[in-house]
Amino acid sequence: MRVLFFAQIRQALGTTAVELTTGDVDVAQFWQILNAMYPLLAQYQARVRLARNGEFVGNDARFTNADEIALIPPVSGG
Amino acid sequence: MDTLVALSLQPLENHPSLHEPASEHSGAVVDFKGIVRRDEAGSPIEALEYEAYQPMAETMMQRIATELGAQHPCDHVLILHRIGIVPVGEAAIIIRATAKHRAEAFALVSGFMDRLKQDVPIWKVRGVPINPNLASAPK
Repeated sequence: MRVLFFAQIRQALGTTAVELTTGDVDVAQFWQILNAMYPLLAQYQARVRLARNGEFVGNDARFTNADEIALIPPVSGG
Repeated sequence: MDTLVALSLQPLENHPSLHEPASEHSGAVVDFKGIVRRDEAGSPIEALEYEAYQPMAETMMQRIATELGAQHPCDHVLILHRIGIVPVGEAAIIIRATAKHRAEAFALVSGFMDRLKQDVPIWKVRGVPINPNLASAPK
């Protein structure tokens, strides 16, 4: 899967995206993998929403290697 | 309802859609511009930098406009959001709602801004500080 980072998360991690091969995972497993790679993410997790292929998803979502997952911190357009 | 949504790196005021004549059937045109202010979080700035998750932002803006259009029927809605560096005094967003009567157009514009600030993946990522060298440069 491709994981996308934006705004303050992109700035904190110093990267816009990462490619992961996880197989079929739920949201908790997804965060576990990501937090192990990027410990800095823990401070953002509570305020981040996840989008799969451009659609917001809830905590019951599951992800596969074919998905594009975006970490969406609080938005501030306009 | 006819809806046009676009993200742009260029000044929004130059967008050709803003210069098209309104329909003869519409009696109200409501324009909203969100302008970059000089002060951001208590400090003077030259500009704001915006970034977007572009495909999702465009999809969400289209969807929100469609949902609001079902509640507040308008004839045409134009939504332009700028990304990249936006200098002070220039528009970060322009919304134009055209309807038979003003109430629907005002309601759609106001409702859209509320939803934008909740659900559309666009971010102000930094204020560009005033360059002290330029500010004190001899004229």
